[in-house]
Amino acid sequence: MSSLQEQMRTRARELLSKKEVQVVIGWEKGTFWYLSPPAFITDPDDCERLVWDEFCTNNLAKYLLDYKLGEEKIALFVKGCDARGVNRLLQDNQFQRERVYLIGINCSGVKDGRRAAALGEARRAEVPLAEKCLYCTHPGPVIYDELLQEDRGAGAREAAATAEGRFAMVEKIEAMNPDERYAFWTSQYDRCLRCYACRNICPACNCRECIFDRSQSGWCGKQMSRSENQFFAITRAMHVAGRCIECGECERVCPEGIPIMALNKKIIKDLNELFGEYEAGLDLEVRPPLGQYDLNDPDEFHK
Amino acid sequence: MAEAARVNPLVPQVGRITKIIDETPDVKTFHVTTETGKPFTPLPGQLAMLSLLDVGEAMFSITSQGPDHLELAIKKVGMLTDALHEAEPGQSVGIRGPYGNGFPLEMMRGKDLLFIGGGIGLAPVRSLINYCIEHRKDYGHLWIIYGARSPADLCFKDDLFNNWPKVENCRVDVTVDRGDDTWQGHEGFVPAFVEELNPAPEGKVAITCGPPIMIKFVLQSMEKLGFKDEQIVTTLEMRMKCGIGKCGRCNLGSCYVCLDGPVFTLAQLKKLPNEY
Amino acid sequence: MLKIGQDKLPELISAWAGGARVFVPQEREGTSIFTPWDGKGKLTLGQGNTLEPPKDLFFPRTEAMYRYQVNGPAATLETLPPLEEKRVLVGIRSCDARSLLIMDDVFLTRGYVDEFYRQRRENTRIVALACNEAQPACFCTAFGIDPGRAEGADVQMWPGEGGYLLEAITDAGKELLKQAGNLLEEAGNAHPPAAAAPGLQVDTGGVTEKLQRMFEHPYWTAVSRKCLGCGACTYLCPTCHCFDIQGENQGDSGYKFRCWDSCMFSEYTRMAGGHNPRPSKKERLRNRFLHKLQYFPERYGKFACVGCGRCLDRCPVNVDITRVIREVKEVTL
Repeated sequence: MSSLQEQMRTRARELLSKKEVQVVIGWEKGTFWYLSPPAFITDPDDCERLVWDEFCTNNLAKYLLDYKLGEEKIALFVKGCDARGVNRLLQDNQFQRERVYLIGINCSGVKDGRRAAALGEARRAEVPLAEKCLYCTHPGPVIYDELLQEDRGAGAREAAATAEGRFAMVEKIEAMNPDERYAFWTSQYDRCLRCYACRNICPACNCRECIFDRSQSGWCGKQMSRSENQFFAITRAMHVAGRCIECGECERVCPEGIPIMALNKKIIKDLNELFGEYEAGLDLEVRPPLGQYDLNDPDEFHK
Repeated sequence: MAEAARVNPLVPQVGRITKIIDETPDVKTFHVTTETGKPFTPLPGQLAMLSLLDVGEAMFSITSQGPDHLELAIKKVGMLTDALHEAEPGQSVGIRGPYGNGFPLEMMRGKDLLFIGGGIGLAPVRSLINYCIEHRKDYGHLWIIYGARSPADLCFKDDLFNNWPKVENCRVDVTVDRGDDTWQGHEGFVPAFVEELNPAPEGKVAITCGPPIMIKFVLQSMEKLGFKDEQIVTTLEMRMKCGIGKCGRCNLGSCYVCLDGPVFTLAQLKKLPNEY
Repeated sequence: MLKIGQDKLPELISAWAGGARVFVPQEREGTSIFTPWDGKGKLTLGQGNTLEPPKDLFFPRTEAMYRYQVNGPAATLETLPPLEEKRVLVGIRSCDARSLLIMDDVFLTRGYVDEFYRQRRENTRIVALACNEAQPACFCTAFGIDPGRAEGADVQMWPGEGGYLLEAITDAGKELLKQAGNLLEEAGNAHPPAAAAPGLQVDTGGVTEKLQRMFEHPYWTAVSRKCLGCGACTYLCPTCHCFDIQGENQGDSGYKFRCWDSCMFSEYTRMAGGHNPRPSKKERLRNRFLHKLQYFPERYGKFACVGCGRCLDRCPVNVDITRVIREVKEVTL
């Protein structure tokens, strides 16, 4: 069986040549050996650019929104987290299922580019898994039109094998007293540059217009200050509550290294306790806990 | 206050609104002065940063000036302008400026001037018309062609129908897109009206300002009439924050509209990126 | 040339801290950042560049401009006291030192002087540290910057055996070295180490002229496809200087502030009526690159990039300005 990368290129070439899709979104090599950023291929002859290696980190789902108003059909390579991102967009009615062709990849976890840079290429084998993959519960795609076959079984991880520890950071923060917790979060969010990379890469952040792009609305201030930074952080966390697919991209892209997923996971943990276990983006038919109505809701608002 | 404003160009003077004139349902002219008199003495076409201190600040063209006040005609389009339209005489405002290059007075000297305005676009042009009237000998024939959506939307009616037609060697032609029961004048869009009036390009400079779509078609009409790019002057609008060429957002290529504009000849504009 | 041992560095910093606040690169969460030296902890002056450039010290991410009181229709305005704090910035690299000269062009020339910037700039002495080791994303030499000697510094430092070599460049620099007293010794025949040789290379020759003909080129659609439209590149850039001005009301009073803004954001150019001359990420990314590589050179005679590599190091999708320069030079018109 040919390598995943070869399969990717072949399928991309076929789909583009037969005009079954107009764009293929995958990954290509970037400036350094430890970077495999997103690639957009429209010409079958360009498919050689596509790569599949341990640095194909970016969740590609969000790019579908760039094509939302167009007519073209898009082929998208999806790892587990990318597939959940696609489900997020589909469930939020942001994109039509028939306009995207999903090519699934069983992901064995991607590697931490920043650690790779520090280690150097000679020690490539020692580069650890990316933080976002450590507690991944669904490395295989949960939605796809075709699944590329893995050529090295040993690399594939058992689903949920490492899900233990998923809430370890949350538990650590929960164990803090309020003063410690306040000190922790202020020291983290005082660094926030408000660059909105977290929001822009997030498949759950799919509002047509974000309030943080409307500073004149008076809802939010543009100051980079403790209160405004935290207002941004909490607003975004609450807005993706029950909808976060745990791809960890927000935290990965943060130039300041703020542990954004700790906030998201705290909310996931609380939702699980309040409304029962739920993982977003797994099943199109199951509504998110805050996006449905249930007469057995523990809250009394409906009575 | 005045000293602070001299030292720091980003800090406004505090002035107040002394008079408010209803021009149209959504345009009002505000007279602004300070305790020490006129905030500053702008050239025609220059801009002022006007603020309600607790609401916001924005750049406006200065439509005219008196010995001790500035006049700004402002259309209601957003938060600040909504609040300004609610204000009454006596309201304190922040004001700083003047900003921008203004109209090329030297280039226009001795020429016949053709003013083509649409809607609120007459606001910056009016500063030049009034300047030319004050310096009547320095300029040739003045011809003002102006249009608005409806008779109610015509700005500066007193000037259009009373003051300017009385000025020596000055002609005023007014059109509306659609008239009403009382309207006796011309009906039709500004670009078609210009072509109908058929001004000859010789010895003229044309100054045009209005909504982007009007400008686009006026420029086509001017070309048809034989005007050269160097003979056509327009004034641009961009989002601005500092007014002094530092905050970045109003650039057209390497020009800053707040500093190097807002007035450009069409010849200059054609050399800049089409990004306005 | 003078020298100082690594062990004496804290004393040197403390000597300068006598009449000024001293900012040095210090460890923070695995990266380094310019922070005021409090005399505690390990002083290393950082490995390579700081995560954030020192621009915040001259052009803070948020700064109050004036206060106001509103009482019905009446209002008064209160200016803020002048910024008089003396500061010493220690350990700035050649790339960031060049960025200050670029910011000087913006804030101090072309008709208006930005008072907030001027006061901070004039009150800050610059002690530069030469680079003898390049980071992967460094490419300062592409802009004619010498990693071994910074422009505009008051004092130049070099890493030396067991410590640092120092040389005063300006009178203010001589004053700083005088303040150090007998902490410094004559360096004898010690030589500064060879300057770093960045591995990332790009030839900027002709790129401005090429870009002047590329505004409408389809390249911008292609290059902006992967861009997220976030502001990480602009906020980490030592030369990006765009700002917004807004106010904060607190009852009857409030203050106007300015804060960093980014040309990558939709709100940046959107007008009150809704029209936006740069409606999508294509126009916005194009403006960012044209500003750095064409508009700024046209206006100020130099590139607005110093090759510090922060944008390409932290960009979530590897938008790489060196690659853009190379590709721009290659595309057919």
